[in-house]
Amino acid sequence: MLSVRNVTKTFHAGTVNEVRALRGVSLDLPDGAFLIILGGNGSGKSTLLNAVAGCFRPDEGEILLDGQDVTRWPEHKRAKLVGRVFQNPFSGTAPTMSIAENLALAARRGQRRTLGWALSHKLMSEIRDRVRELGMGLEDRLGNAIGSLSGGQRQALTLLMATWLRPSLLLLDEHTAALDPKSADQVLRVTEAIVKRHQLTTLMVTHSMSQAVNLGDRIVMMHRGSVAYRFAGADKQRLGVEDLLGRFEELRRREMLDETAASLLEETYV
Amino acid sequence: MTLLLGAFTIGLILSLLALGIYISYRVFDIADITADGSITLGASISAVLIVGDYNPLLATFAGFLGGMAAGTVTGILQAKFKINPLLSGILVMTGLYSVNLHVMGKSNVPLLSGTSLATWAERLGHTIFGDLDYNLLGWMVSVRDLVMLLGAFALIVTACLVLYAFFRTNLGTAMRAAGDNPQMIRALGVNVELYRIMGLALANGLVALSGSLLAQYQGFADAQMGIGMVVWGLASVIIGESLTGSRSLGLAIYGAVAGSVLFRLLVAIALRWGLNPNDLKLVTALFVFAALVLPQMMPRWKQSATLAKAPR
Ligand SMILES: Nc1ncnc2c1ncn2[C@@H]1O[C@H](COP(=O)(O)OP(=O)(O)OP(=O)(O)O)[C@@H](O)[C@H]1O
Ligand SMILES: [Mg+2]
Repeated sequence: MLSVRNVTKTFHAGTVNEVRALRGVSLDLPDGAFLIILGGNGSGKSTLLNAVAGCFRPDEGEILLDGQDVTRWPEHKRAKLVGRVFQNPFSGTAPTMSIAENLALAARRGQRRTLGWALSHKLMSEIRDRVRELGMGLEDRLGNAIGSLSGGQRQALTLLMATWLRPSLLLLDEHTAALDPKSADQVLRVTEAIVKRHQLTTLMVTHSMSQAVNLGDRIVMMHRGSVAYRFAGADKQRLGVEDLLGRFEELRRREMLDETAASLLEETYV
Repeated sequence: MTLLLGAFTIGLILSLLALGIYISYRVFDIADITADGSITLGASISAVLIVGDYNPLLATFAGFLGGMAAGTVTGILQAKFKINPLLSGILVMTGLYSVNLHVMGKSNVPLLSGTSLATWAERLGHTIFGDLDYNLLGWMVSVRDLVMLLGAFALIVTACLVLYAFFRTNLGTAMRAAGDNPQMIRALGVNVELYRIMGLALANGLVALSGSLLAQYQGFADAQMGIGMVVWGLASVIIGESLTGSRSLGLAIYGAVAGSVLFRLLVAIALRWGLNPNDLKLVTALFVFAALVLPQMMPRWKQSATLAKAPR
């Protein structure tokens, strides 16, 4: 279960580069919920996910995970509860290390790292089985450096790594955006299967309206660091691509209005 | 032959330095100049303890621990105080110069009066091979030279095996990942800063161990002995990589050792041919410069060659 309560974050506060990336965002995700986050470039989607993952402390607000206040936990401590796949396929894996070693690292997410062998026989056969389930033929190449794989293969493995130990929360930040359409499709299917099988609570950022319509059980649309629209339950099920595009258009018009209003004020008073 | 055996032995001893540099430079991508100070620290701690009649194993281990402490300080400067890695190393190295003088009480400590690992090895050698020179494949070599080489070889092989095993444990793989992709391993629950500190501690521990063994082999510790050692280690690592052509863990460790030995042999031969010892550091620096720059230049040369050939 995830609760985000009134979280704000301003980068470079008090300078000319000041960016109010989050302006009081609140979310409540019950266990097993699958939330899709939409929004234009720079609307604060990644910043929200980073706040939940603990990459920085929010200026205000609280973040609760599994009933614990994790607002002050550093990122590596939150990793015990959170599995994560990044947009960039290079971000989620250690390129010079083997596929098997990468998965072994993930098999101890949030646990003590001891002087036991990283790759025991037992773990190795488990790794082979679970990699085989991806259906990418990677189970025969477990000793290869993971950096030699394609982006799609790396994202699928990162997904497997993030969920090797069941996370309380899975964060996906446009994790198919950097892939060609075919790999994106493949990774998306793997995502669906894993989320369904483990009943994972999931936050997924995407720019794809069709993904938003077809996946998940609720949608949040962000705009300028706050939540502009929310859809859940039957509303979400009824929603089509056209409806979502309509909402986007509405936000765009509102923004233009804002700008016209601002320049009008400027002309009048400055 | 004596020259060759000596070069081989020193090459082996300095391969621990190369392994330390491999950890800081290749695993963590830091040119950690702390090594210049920690190699002397290891030497001086061991030297003082040996002269004070402590067990040489204890003295050697204490040197190793001293290096780990130095690496820890550098790591803390980087991770906790956010000081630029290069500058952190420079600060600690500079500070260590005074520390080393304090440890030794003067700028040079001879080991003649104490029992060192070298003394042990010599005694053992004489009981096995007798007191006279030993006939090695037709060459007459002194038992001391031979036994030093064998002893160094055994120690280095052990150290390599332990290091290799360590890097395949849960802790060791996480440490490699902390260097390879901090963002990823942090998302898997590792405190990257802490692991960087541990990595630098391990690296400088190995470097200090190298210094400790070197002092025992040559029979003295000297405040100046660390100068240029980082570059020396870099040269070894780079030679090792070109020998094995691979960054896989086992080959990289083997390469660092082979590179160190080969480099020492090359230097011995160059000195024999009349290279002025004063030029040694300059030549080493130029060598590392060339090794760093040439791989970048190659594609550019190739590119400009194809551009020149291309029809306009
Ligand atoms: N670490 C940072 N330092 C400074 N500014 C930042 C930082 N992270 C994000 N921002 C700014 O905050 C705003 C929101 O960025 P964010 O990355 O959250 O947008 P996004 O919704 O993910 O956009 P996109 O769809 O392009 O990924 C942007 O203006 C961005 O420049
Ligand atoms: Mg983003």
